[in-house]
Amino acid sequence: MLAQRVAQQSLRRLAATPSRNAALLKFSLTPTAILTSPQFRQVATQKMTPTDSYQILVEQRKKRPTSPHLTIYEPQIPWILSALNRITGSVLSGAFYIFGSAYLVAPLLGWNLSSVSMAAAFGSWPVIAKVATKLLLAFPFTFHSFNGLRHLAWDMGKAFKNQTVIKSGWAVVGLSTVSALALALFV
Amino acid sequence: MASLRTTSRLFKAARPAFKSQIRTIAIGNTNSTAHPVDPSKTSTIKEPAADPDSKIKTFHIYRWNPDEPSTKPRMQSYTLDLNKTGPMVLDALIRIKNEVDPTLTFRRSCREGICGSCAMNIDGVNTLACLCRIPTDTKAESKIYPLPHTYVVKDIVPDLTQFYKQYKSIQPYLQRSTPAPDGKEYRQSKEERKKLDGMYECILCACCSTSCPSYWWNSEEYLGPAVLMQSYRWIADSRDEKKEARKAQLDNSMSLYRCHTILNCSRTCPKGLNPGLAIAEIKKEMAF
Amino acid sequence: MASIVRPTLLRQSCLKVATKKAFSTKPSPTFPAINKPLSSVVSKDAVRSRFMKEAVPSSMRVAAFHATGRRPILPPLPQSVNGTANEPAPVPDPSPTHGSYHWTFERLVSAGLVPLTIAPFAAGSLNPMTDAVLCGAILIHSHIGFEAVLIDYIPDKRLPKTRKAFMWALKLATVVVGVGLYEFETNDVGLTEAIKRVWKA
Repeated sequence: MLAQRVAQQSLRRLAATPSRNAALLKFSLTPTAILTSPQFRQVATQKMTPTDSYQILVEQRKKRPTSPHLTIYEPQIPWILSALNRITGSVLSGAFYIFGSAYLVAPLLGWNLSSVSMAAAFGSWPVIAKVATKLLLAFPFTFHSFNGLRHLAWDMGKAFKNQTVIKSGWAVVGLSTVSALALALFV
Repeated sequence: MASLRTTSRLFKAARPAFKSQIRTIAIGNTNSTAHPVDPSKTSTIKEPAADPDSKIKTFHIYRWNPDEPSTKPRMQSYTLDLNKTGPMVLDALIRIKNEVDPTLTFRRSCREGICGSCAMNIDGVNTLACLCRIPTDTKAESKIYPLPHTYVVKDIVPDLTQFYKQYKSIQPYLQRSTPAPDGKEYRQSKEERKKLDGMYECILCACCSTSCPSYWWNSEEYLGPAVLMQSYRWIADSRDEKKEARKAQLDNSMSLYRCHTILNCSRTCPKGLNPGLAIAEIKKEMAF
Repeated sequence: MASIVRPTLLRQSCLKVATKKAFSTKPSPTFPAINKPLSSVVSKDAVRSRFMKEAVPSSMRVAAFHATGRRPILPPLPQSVNGTANEPAPVPDPSPTHGSYHWTFERLVSAGLVPLTIAPFAAGSLNPMTDAVLCGAILIHSHIGFEAVLIDYIPDKRLPKTRKAFMWALKLATVVVGVGLYEFETNDVGLTEAIKRVWKA
């Protein structure tokens, strides 16, 4: 034991020399900062009543961020088509509501919204505009109709398997696109 | 012997490593005050040479630290050699925590898909990290987020308090007032028991509920697929005698009928269950 | 002897990790973040620019992904939970008119729309009576659809006045459209025939 103590003292003396001292000082300042090991982490505890700790939780909750959702979720058939169903439905119903209310106020504003005049006005449009307008209305109509059938099947508790949902989804996309093109171009 | 373990001795042993550290700091100091030292005058520190047949994959992981609440959440990137990592995403996360960054925080427990702790959004889909294989395509970088539209406690740990409160609100236990006919146990036929298959297996990991856009917008009042399926698990149970009360609980515009059969829930369920079907069955039973 | 050796080894290996970390290619803002002193001694940027930038492939930097739930309209409120986790969420009073009856009615209308939609394609156009029924069904279906949109996206608890205003506006719009369609059905050729004429124009 004596030998050990002697060795220790000599080490201390060595450390006390100025040059060493400087090196050690630098060392003690910086490397602790670089070391991210949990060994160096200092933990302080304090006593707290349950109500106080609950208050801390309440305060923490107020600062919590919301995790990302729509922007990061993988675009999958179920929710993309569901969103499309709502959008196409809103487009159709929106057009329906606009036409209905416009027809009511037309006499007051001096518009002529009778079917004859509307047909005449639409007939005078260039072909591209006609086809584009038809497509813009036909696709929502066909999509919402076919997807509506899919929804009715689900409401009866049928076709719920994942693979069925995916296949029926793609079938609706295909059918509605083809039929919309047919309606816009050939009818 | 223990007295020999003085700190100075420890320092001495470790000195070679510190020398380079000290140099680093010196450079850092001059940098922060004046012009940087020219690269030609400083030593170059190279990263360890990569194993030639290593399969390096990048993971981008959502990070947010409650100790610094004003800092925005960010995506932290980690690279791992897949040859040294287990096959599942949870293995990768555990390896990152053990070997790269101990501050990464996530929940995990059973590592075999029965506890539901490690539910998270991996590559855009909610699933259990322990059941999700790491895609071996090293070019594709994996992104890991907490469950979508949840309040984040830390990193990929979401707060599920509301989810559990909603689960409690449906009274998920057997309720009956009549005693068992034989005085021993409540018996069930095989067919009746079969109705519960596909529902009792739910581990309440919240993957389905947090994949549901309806639940994103209305989680305060809409119960969400997981809780609704558990509700139906008790409605469908032949032994339960509070069916009507259970249904009455759901008979309002928010609790059940915010479900628009989007079916993200069935698609994402890591246990292969079908909450969408269960909800449709509730609606059917309540319809007429 | 082992007791002497082990801690030194430990410390060394620990240092090794630390040095590796300091020079790692990870962009790790965590690393200055977890221990404050470093950022005061060495500027974060200095370390990064000196040792990382050149060596770091672009894939390893902090990526510009969506890290927050972005909802420009109606961003989620700060979290607040009523009661502890052991208290159940409140259960609303049953109201079948907004619940099961509503759902059943909506499905019946939707199912009824199926033959009404097919009929004009099969028959060319509809007689005034069925045409009026079709218009009514579409009107109800649209009203319920818009209502669902409002319920979904305008939370009653958070914006009770806005919700009420929109609901009344929707009701008014439905009445206006209903009257307008009645006018159209009685004075003009009917919806299906009109669409047919315009489509073929």
